[in-house]
Amino acid sequence: MSTPQGGGGSRRPSVVSTGKKPAASKATPGTKATKAPVKTTGGKGQRKRIAPVKVSQGRAWGPIAVLAAVLLVALAIIGYASWYIYQGSITWDERANGIPGIVNFRKTQPNVLERNHQPGSLTYPMSPPVGGNHNQIWQNCMGDVYTAQIANEHAVHSLEHGAVWITYRPDLPADQVEKLASKVRGQEMMLMSPYPGLDAPISLQAWGYQLKVDNASDGRIDEFIKALRVNASLEEGAVCSGGITVTGTTPRDLQTGG
Amino acid sequence: MGESRRRLTLVAVAALAVGVLLGFGVGWLVPRLTAPGDDSAEAGFARDMSSHHAQAVEMALLAYRNGENPGVRQLGYDIATVQQAQIGVMQTWLRDWGLSPTGSRPRMAWMPDGQQSLENGLMPGMATPQQLEQLRNAKGRDFDVLFCQLMLRHHLGGIHMVDGVLSETSDGEVQGLAEGMKAGQTKEVKILQDLLTDLNAKPL
Repeated sequence: MSTPQGGGGSRRPSVVSTGKKPAASKATPGTKATKAPVKTTGGKGQRKRIAPVKVSQGRAWGPIAVLAAVLLVALAIIGYASWYIYQGSITWDERANGIPGIVNFRKTQPNVLERNHQPGSLTYPMSPPVGGNHNQIWQNCMGDVYTAQIANEHAVHSLEHGAVWITYRPDLPADQVEKLASKVRGQEMMLMSPYPGLDAPISLQAWGYQLKVDNASDGRIDEFIKALRVNASLEEGAVCSGGITVTGTTPRDLQTGG
Repeated sequence: MGESRRRLTLVAVAALAVGVLLGFGVGWLVPRLTAPGDDSAEAGFARDMSSHHAQAVEMALLAYRNGENPGVRQLGYDIATVQQAQIGVMQTWLRDWGLSPTGSRPRMAWMPDGQQSLENGLMPGMATPQQLEQLRNAKGRDFDVLFCQLMLRHHLGGIHMVDGVLSETSDGEVQGLAEGMKAGQTKEVKILQDLLTDLNAKPL
């Protein structure tokens, strides 16, 4: 909104400056008429000049108006373009970082966001985890609403694929749980599960990002999902199907010899 | 004389510069201004069809792995690869249009009758979590039948959504992919019906 106003402000000087050109050119026909070197002007010249000066004054306003109109359009385009560029240039991480209360571990603790496959139980420096080493198998995140706790080690792998993981404290009222579930069900790249011991009623995770809120009606939940779902993926094009769908906090390792 | 010529040159250069700038600005802006917006049918379709396709891929890969009938396995391979590639195309559109993969409006809101077609929040033809769980656990002929039944419904729902976007958009790229989807899925509907007949089973 402020950018077009700025464009309007700078509009005035440009019109004035175009006005100067025809004004300055008043002298030009005169010098032509005298057929004399540029700087010499005599009495004869003045007499002959009278008619051309009037004509050129009359002529001048046409081009000025046209030029002014063109410049006006140009400035309007530039103003709109600036606004549009600004809108389009906001990247997903800028959007995410603009959400009040969001924690960006990619910035604060990038060293904890390793991403190797590791079997067995793993410990994470934040709760719930937002990244780090993880199990080879990811938790299915095709809009799966798990009603029991799931293993961090599988869920972190889902985050790596670009999923948003909604966790809630088991004492969250049922209507709020349902409200959260409605954002997840049928939406791939989303999963949800209860998380005992959570230090907030609700916590949202994407790879490297976390947001804790008190209520399922908090508008920042949708902002978080819009900014980070899919976008936070470290493996572009990775999917959420083909993962494990079992619950329980003990990770399941692949049973192959590899 | 020299001065007037210089002035003329200056005006010509200025006019040229303004013209070039204007042309450049317009050329740069037009594709951006005409790109579908966040609430457009095109963006809604790209997002919702990506989700719809993602579930088809999930079911099709189960068919490729667990199908008993070779026709079911072959069809599963075909559906999974085609639809995953189409997801990539639709996600690229969204990026090119400067839009997030996630919209601000409810699912199917881009279609005129879209939100009435939701069943328990699921888009037309989508399998429920219970049906998916059933499919994951099914084996042999039971798997083949359930897969064909679920994928048949899924395709019919998908074709409904394709018709929705075709009636809303004039974007050539979107029309092209949508028409391709319709042709492909219509053909596969026939294959699924034939498979069900072979399996001595009926659609859901």
